Amino acid sequence: MLVWFLPLFLLFLMIGLPVFFGLLAAPGLLIWWEAISNGNDRYMRDITLLYRNLYNGMDSFPLMAIPFFMLAGEMMNRGGITMRLVEFSQAMIGHLKGGLAQVNIFSSMLFAGLSGSAVADTSALGSMLIPAMEKQGYTRKFAAAITAASSVIGPIIPPSGIMIIYAYVMGESVAALFLAGIVPGILVGVGLMMMVSYQARVQDFPPATKRATWAESGQASLKAFFPLMTPVIILGGILGGVMTPTEASAVAAAYALVVSLVILKSMQIKDLPNVFIRSALAASVVLLLVGAAMSFKTVVSLSRAPETLAVFILGLSDDPLMLLFLINLLLFVVGMFLDAGPAIIILGPILGPIFLDLGVHPVHFAIIMSVNLTVGLATPPMGLVLFVASSVSGERVETIARAILPFLAVEVLVIFLITYVPAISMTVPRLLGFVQ
Amino acid sequence: MAALLGLFKGLCAVNNVLLLIGRHVAWVALATMTVIILYQIIMRYVFDLAPNWSEEAARFLMLWMTGLIAPSAYRWGGFVAIDTVVRLLPRALAAILALILLVLALTVLVVGLRISFAEVTGFSGSFATAALWVPLDLVGGESFRVPRSWMMASMLVGIVLLILVNVEHILRTVVQLIDPEAPLPVDKHLMAAGAE
Repeated sequence: MLVWFLPLFLLFLMIGLPVFFGLLAAPGLLIWWEAISNGNDRYMRDITLLYRNLYNGMDSFPLMAIPFFMLAGEMMNRGGITMRLVEFSQAMIGHLKGGLAQVNIFSSMLFAGLSGSAVADTSALGSMLIPAMEKQGYTRKFAAAITAASSVIGPIIPPSGIMIIYAYVMGESVAALFLAGIVPGILVGVGLMMMVSYQARVQDFPPATKRATWAESGQASLKAFFPLMTPVIILGGILGGVMTPTEASAVAAAYALVVSLVILKSMQIKDLPNVFIRSALAASVVLLLVGAAMSFKTVVSLSRAPETLAVFILGLSDDPLMLLFLINLLLFVVGMFLDAGPAIIILGPILGPIFLDLGVHPVHFAIIMSVNLTVGLATPPMGLVLFVASSVSGERVETIARAILPFLAVEVLVIFLITYVPAISMTVPRLLGFVQ
Repeated sequence: MAALLGLFKGLCAVNNVLLLIGRHVAWVALATMTVIILYQIIMRYVFDLAPNWSEEAARFLMLWMTGLIAPSAYRWGGFVAIDTVVRLLPRALAAILALILLVLALTVLVVGLRISFAEVTGFSGSFATAALWVPLDLVGGESFRVPRSWMMASMLVGIVLLILVNVEHILRTVVQLIDPEAPLPVDKHLMAAGAE
């Protein structure tokens, strides 16, 4: 009976029940129904366990990294730091073919090292770069599409909110996942830059700006120095064994506060309550979801759903490469409808064990899932960053969804590269001793 | 209809006040968590004296932050859901489906309320936290360890606030189902805190 909780959960999800309630309602209802059917009146004990796991799932020190990273990202976003990153990118690569489009992608790669959120990236960079690109002669739909496409780098290059969630739910090392995300994130960025370069050659793109002088580059680097130190502090602290990821995230938040408030003076003390409230709001939703996911995970293992699903999946093919192809298709479709965080929370405990049994390294599988579901943020019909890009640019979602297709093709190619060449994600954590 | 609208407006006013207080306590909790973790790092590396209470205190605050601010996120549509089906349906059918979903959510919350009340007042809540003390000795009293029930109460309070918001959503849906043109109160803080 309990094995039906998954279809019931999916039904709830499809008809619009918030994920948090669905994660509790589906198993709860089935526990109750099974008990009633068997004349067992002790079902409240099992349902109590469900809610106890919700609380225990949230009562976690490693999970505290989520509100802190959100706080750091929010401060960076508010503190005028985005402008400095764009000026730095402009000085470095503004002279390449497709000038501002390349700057957009490169800025997203830098921004990824600060915030780890695709939505924050689209909103912060889009509001600045889309009007600038239009002024230079790019179409609005192209500017919005490249902003949305490049923003998915945010949760791939560390720090990354979804990787913290995956690490916690699946019991993996945050540091290993952070390290494993670096090369795939850069690969997505480089792939998008190559596509822009190709489009600039075959289409009539506006001319790039002239190359910045050494003095201009030096000045831009100096202005961007403090923001660019954030990923160095976070990763350096974690990898050097100086701080836990949670402590590093708190330091990142404090650093962002000092940079915005004292050094750059781009934020005022009166802005702080709003910044904290926005971060706490976003973090609370994620924390509740993770807590509910821990309850859900217990039911997943009790129901033997992974075993049932494994038999089904292994019945499709016994070739791990083919199965990885199929799972990528599944993740891509799920990513079209569901945000990356909730999708990881739901699918991680179900799919993870199956692929580990097939010999896929847990860190490698985590990266496949994370990158695939993150790209889903930019896919129609429910891609969150498409909606943000639409609201920032004023362009229709459908128009952006068409213009983004060449960039999505690049990202899908990268997903398959990451899937079939494990060295892309595994080399850095392996070299630094975080993966055996 | 007038009575229903009055009830809805009254509940909105109550929720406005409670959730505003919740948001302010939550942001102070987040700020305090940050300070506590920084203090922990400094004490460990500078003074070689790691405090034993800091992690538990920060977790205490994180749980309360979540319990107090998540209802605001729920009120402003911040809970992740796929609303494609609801948006495709005709208005009346969409409202009926929304009502069914809200009642289902309310059931989850009411069961949660019953369980968390039993947890806070029962056996689980009778233990003390590992390292948190109320230092009443500073004012001449007797110090005691913070009971776990104080920490677990964050879930109870959070669920109570979520129930109030859920009932508000139900009343709003019913009012709109009966009279789509009915003037409904708007939460002025939505834009300020931006729960998009």
